[in-house]
Parts: sequence; C-alpha cells; structure tokens
Amino acid sequence: MTSPSIAVPVAAPARKRGRLLEKALRFQGYLGLVIVLVIGAVFSPTKDGVNLFLDLTNQMNVLRYVAETGIIAVGMTMVILIGEIDLSVGSLLALVATLTAHLLARAGYSTAPTILLALLVGAAVGCTNGVIVAGLRIPSFVTTLAMMTFARGLVRVVFGGLAIPLLPHSLGGTAADSAFFFAGKVSFIPVPALVMLVMAVITGLLLRFTPFGRHVYAVGGNAVASRLSGVRVELTRVAVFTACGVLTALAALIHGIQLNQGAPNDGITYELNAIAAVVIGGTALQGGIGSIAGSIAGAWMLGLIDNSLNLNNINSDVQLLVKGALIVAAVSLQRLQRRS
Amino acid sequence: MSATEHPAVPEALLMMRGITKRFPGVLALDGVDFEVRSAEVHAMMGENGAGKSTLVKILSGVYHLDRGEIRLAGQLAQIGDPRAAQRQGIAIIHQELNQVPELRAFENFFLGREKRTRLGSVDERTMRQETTEWLGRLGLELDPNRPLRELRVAERQLLEIAKGMSLQARIMVMDEPTTALNAEEVAQLFQVVDRLRQSGMGIVYISHRIDEIFRIADRVTVLRDGRLVGTKPISEINRDSLIKMMVGRELRDLYPTSKRQPGRAVLEVQDLSVASMPGRRELHGASLSVRAGEIVGLGGLLGSGRTELLEAVFAVPARKRVRGTIRIDGHEVQLSSPRQAIRAGISFVTEDRKGQSLVLVRSVGENASLAALHRFALGPLLRLRKEAQEVQGMVRDLRIKTPSLETPAASLSGGNQQKVALAKFLLLDTRVLLLDEPTQGIDVGAKAEIYALIDGLAQRGVAVLLASSDMPELLALCDRIYVMCEGRVSGEVQRQAATQERILDFATRFTHLPQFHGERPQMARSQP
Repeated sequence: MTSPSIAVPVAAPARKRGRLLEKALRFQGYLGLVIVLVIGAVFSPTKDGVNLFLDLTNQMNVLRYVAETGIIAVGMTMVILIGEIDLSVGSLLALVATLTAHLLARAGYSTAPTILLALLVGAAVGCTNGVIVAGLRIPSFVTTLAMMTFARGLVRVVFGGLAIPLLPHSLGGTAADSAFFFAGKVSFIPVPALVMLVMAVITGLLLRFTPFGRHVYAVGGNAVASRLSGVRVELTRVAVFTACGVLTALAALIHGIQLNQGAPNDGITYELNAIAAVVIGGTALQGGIGSIAGSIAGAWMLGLIDNSLNLNNINSDVQLLVKGALIVAAVSLQRLQRRS
Repeated sequence: MSATEHPAVPEALLMMRGITKRFPGVLALDGVDFEVRSAEVHAMMGENGAGKSTLVKILSGVYHLDRGEIRLAGQLAQIGDPRAAQRQGIAIIHQELNQVPELRAFENFFLGREKRTRLGSVDERTMRQETTEWLGRLGLELDPNRPLRELRVAERQLLEIAKGMSLQARIMVMDEPTTALNAEEVAQLFQVVDRLRQSGMGIVYISHRIDEIFRIADRVTVLRDGRLVGTKPISEINRDSLIKMMVGRELRDLYPTSKRQPGRAVLEVQDLSVASMPGRRELHGASLSVRAGEIVGLGGLLGSGRTELLEAVFAVPARKRVRGTIRIDGHEVQLSSPRQAIRAGISFVTEDRKGQSLVLVRSVGENASLAALHRFALGPLLRLRKEAQEVQGMVRDLRIKTPSLETPAASLSGGNQQKVALAKFLLLDTRVLLLDEPTQGIDVGAKAEIYALIDGLAQRGVAVLLASSDMPELLALCDRIYVMCEGRVSGEVQRQAATQERILDFATRFTHLPQFHGERPQMARSQP
C-alpha cells in the first residue's frame, strides 16, 4: 500500500459497490453453489424429520457422482485456460475404462500395472492431441473432434460393442481389494471425491505457484507475447493436453471400477459436462482467465442440481433444461464482469 | 465566443457545450466545450486519459452524455447510437479501422448498404464503379477488387474517408490517422484533408504528433484530465506553449542531455538475411553493430525492414529462413527461439504493445515478471514474495501508474503499458535492448520518461538499438543511426552529421518515390 505512484481519482461509494459486484462475479462459482445448496435444502422432501437433500449420505453420494466430471473438468480447465478445447475426453474415458476392465477381468493383470497402463494411454492420447495442435497448428476443436471420433472407433474395434464386466469375484485376492479401493470410502468420504479434491489442489497449486502455471495463463491470454517473452508456447500446449489426458484416464479408472464394467459406449457427452462445469466456474473460453476451484464448484453445482431435481422426482429431461439455462446465465455473468 | 456573436466567423457545424461524462469512479469529462466550424481543421490534443476518446465516443453515439448539449448546425441533436451519428453527417475514421480484411475494397465501401440490381442480387458493377469514383475524388487510384487485407494502411484509411464523403458527412473525426503512415503517405493524407476542408467539411483531428498540428490545423483545443484547457487559433501558439497546455507544466527536457561513453561492441550483426514471408519484408544482408552504452537508431520508412531486422536478431522468424551471423560480446550465437535470445541477454520491446508485448487480460505484476520467471524459481516453485518485491520496485522506479500489481494490464494507459513492457526486460540481465517504436501513441510526458529510461540503461552499459519513424526522436536520442531501405541497410550516419535530409536520402536510396502531385515527401519535422 505504500506504492508512491497512483493518483487515480476514484469516488469512494462507487468503488465499494463496484468491488462487491466484482467479488460476486469473481466467485460466481461458489456463489452459485451456495444458492443451489439453499434452494436444494428448502425444496427438499423430508422423511422422519430428516432433510433428505442435506443428509450426509446424500451429500456424499452427490460428491461421488460429481467426481468423474470434476476430475475431467480439472484437466479441461487447463486446456481452456490456454485458449483451446478438448472434445475427446468422453471417448478417451470409454477407451481407458474398457481397457481397464479388459486388463483386470480378462488379461489377468494386477492393479498397479493396470493403473499405470491406463494413465499411460491417457497421456499418449492427450499428448497426441497436443502435438497435433501445437506442431501442425490444427485448431484444437478440429483436432480433438477427430480424436473423439477416432478413440470411439478404436475402443469399439478393439473390444467390440459390448461392456466388459468387472466384478469382484472375477478378480483374485489383494489386487482386487486395492482396485476396489477406488470405489470405497475413507471414513465417510468417498474415495473418488478425495481423488478429485487431491487432483484439484495439486493442479490449483501448480497454476498458482509455478512458472508453468504462469505460462498456462500467459499462453491463453496472448500466445505471441508469451513466445516473445521466452515462454515455450508449444511445449506448454503439449503439456496441458497431456495432463488433461492423464486426468481423464484417472476419471476413467474410477468410472470403470465404480460401475463394475468398462463399456465402449460410455462417456458420451462427458466432454460437454466438463466444459459446462468449467464455464459455469467462470473460466473464459477465450483463455487466460479462470481457476480450478471455480470449475470444481461448477461441477459440484451441476451435481447438486441433478440431485435436487431427482429428489423431487423431476425427470431428467427437465434437468437438461435447467443445465442449459445455467450455462447461458454463467456466460452472461462473465460478459458483465468483462465490462466492469 | 460563439459563432452567432461574431457574424464574420463561419457558422459552427458542431457545437458541444458543457459536456460531462462520468464513469464509475472517474469523471472522464467535466463541462467541456468544443466546436467545429465549416471548412476548418480543428485539432484536439491532450495526454492519454485527457478525455479525447470519450469526447469522440460521445460524438459518435457510443457513449451518452450525462450533462451538456450537442448542436449540429445550430439544431439541438440527440446522438443515440453510431448509426444516428452517421445519419446526422458525422463520420469517424478510427485508429483501428472497422473494416473486414477478407472482403474486397468495394465490398467494404458498401458494407451494410449494398447496391442491388432490379432482380435483387448484389449489383457489383455499380458498386465497383462508385467506389472508384469516390476514391478518384481523393486522388487515389485503386483496383476496387483488391481484398482489403492486401491494401496498405494508408489506402484503407482513404477508403474509409471516401466512404465518409459518400455518406454525405459534414463532420469528419480522424483519430490518430498518421500513426501507421510513412512520410509520403502523411503528405498524401494532408492533401486529402486540405481538399475536405476546401469542400466545407469540418474536421476534428486527433494526434499526439505536435509537428503535424502545426502543418494541418487551423485551431487547436487542448484537454487535460477531462477538463478544457483552452481553444486557440494555431497562429497564436507555438510548440512550447502547446506542450505546456497539455502537460500543465513546462517540459524543458524532452530528450536526455547526458553524455554517454560507448564501450566495446556488444551486438554485431553480419550479412543477416531473412527469406520473405507473407506480411513481412525480406532482409538482404544487413550488417550493423552496437556498442555497450550506445544508443543506435534504426531509421527508414515504414516497411523498410526495421521491424524484420529486430525480429531476426531476436530469433523470431523460423531458423531456416535466416542466414548470417550474430555475435554477442564477440562470441557467435546460434539462436533458434526468442527464449534463447533472452537467455543470451537480448531483449525486444515490440511496436505492437497490445498484440505482441502484453498479455492484456493478466495483471501488471504477471506481465512484468513473465520473461524473468526463471529468476524467481525455487525448484519447481515460484518465490512469490521476491517476485512481488522486485516487480514493485520496478513499478516504483519506472513510475508506472497502476492502482495495484493485480490490475489487469489492459486497464493502463498506453504510456504505462509501454513501461510495463520495458519492465519485463529490465528484470532480466539485459545486454542488448531492441526497441521498436517505443514511444508510438504515447503522450509527451510519458515520452520524456521513457527517453530518460533508455538513456539510463545505456549509461549502465546496455547496448540499445532503437527503430523509430519519429525523426526528431532518432536525431536527439541516438549516437549513430543506421538507415534502412527495401530490406537493406542503406547507410550509416554519425550523430554530428545527422540531419533529416541525410536520413531521408538514405531511406529512399533504392526506391523510386511515386510522384504524388509533385510534392516532395516529408518526414515528421521538429521545430527548432
């Protein structure tokens, strides 16, 4: 506060109001979350005096349900921060989930190598996206649209059209235990939710406290200026797409093990859910502005809305209406923010 | 003061009275009066943030005024939106032209008001014809079929001016029209402006270039901090009094007067060639050297290859397009990316602040440290406190006016943005500083500060290579000046021997200047 410069004439009351609005906009993800929580609680059916919506078990189920989208959204946030998009995550999820089921249930792999292999496939697909975008300069929309189609085709060609069941009794001994750790709980918190939290925190810290994080924001804000400032723009892009692939593979592991199967037709429209979470969380599609915390809040909010509507027996078609309206509302809030 | 009290004075086309405009937290305009008469060029001047663009935006219907009145030819006028402005005879020639690069010239000319044949299809023939006619009235011959992106900025501007004429504009506002023009083009533009004046049009001319005002304007109005400082006929003021009106104080030393003692050669460039590429001039065997503590100028007309030379030294173009050797401190360096150039001690502040220097959506602090992040790295982490300290120090030293380090770079004025762009490289251990038009579009006060800064760096032993279209700047600041023409270094002038004529002579060495109505081309001239 001792900076000697600044003679910017500012009227005090206007500033206060502006700041409040600014804060509200900046934390629109959390604000929305609180609003949804309140509305959900108010309209929740009760049973034996227990608010079903606020019930701990219900809330933990929501978190479990949110985890997959949330983990993908963490990767998607980075991709959108650099001003790109990744449409291939849904297909990649199907590919990795099916592969996981195949390795564990049919090929007799133990847990550790399966997880490693799954993450490697995710990295490879993400890296390929990145190299095509950064090296061949093909827009990411096109590149990942192609990858979305390609990966979906690949999983169907390799594993056929049917789901591969993954049941505890099809596995032997300790390997199964550790695999099913993913579906379990630590105390009362579901493991998938913990994984999401850990990934979000790691990535959030990465973005905030490392040169790599600064580069991500800078490349998204202005790639030319970044390059002229010595940032390895291409490398940053490849790294971000790779990270998104790895995170998607992680979500796929959870997906497969929770559903007890890997199916080539899974994960359809997951990319759209992840993008919706990111956008609702306040990250700008043009890149350069946004946060992981916002995206988690966005994913969580979407999960709570689904849950609340479910509890009230409102059908899933209406849920789509609500989500659509919500995305438009979130983006118009961003416009407002940019103008202020 | 008003036209009606003096019958001899020509009628006022535009009269703005007590214009007040408040933005959240800022009083942008405070009771400003401004008028434009028929057949006059009325210059509007003031430092960045003085309120010029706000006034223009009110005139063009983009902003609505809070208080005050606008009269057009004596009638009270409401300018609700840009179309209303157009309908009421106001044309704005923006700094960044609102045109569609992919469309052809005539399509741009008729954009939004396309002619139709009787069958309802677009009547390209008539549109072409009329475009050619209107351009002809301005003395410009141009194939209307050429896509806009192939046209020079000057040509696009004339197209926009012709469009304004075809819309029956009575008042034309030109916002910094000469920023991207070379001397011939400026001369050509001024002839056009003169024609418009003779036709009875009222012209509002906004520019930072004081010399231009004395060449073209009849009256000048100066704004400062949203207030009217005064309106004067050009004959009643001189350069110094005008600067005093703008800055609010005497600005005695625009240029630093210190003596520098150049040392050994730091940057040596030999036979540097760059293959051509769309939108970029090719370089042919350019050679030059810059010594420690020396400020070397790079002159030449726009498009002579100055930017391309600086870019080649900074390893911006792909390696395979570049030939020649670059030495730093006597050692040959093989640079294949700007990153390597930076690591070798070279810094480059581009001419395009918004497009190439700054990440506008990010904060002042993040922008300032972007090139120097490796200096603050501790393993994979950033030492945020050290970073904030050094950046804060830089903000203080350079007197960057920003509410905080977290303020987005986009919300700073041009001069302060340029200081941030400089700060970015001052946080590094720079040996060679490449500057491309460092004071373009910057007000006088900030200019003086940036000159002092450059001089200070040279004093500390940095080798400075400065490309500029601003002749007085080159002459006053540089120890030596290389002049470029058509992608070649066409000459070298020592400080003592440097004159505008010599530089212009070298700058046009390989070109056959197009004779434009027989007038000799001029570069921006300083008054003694």
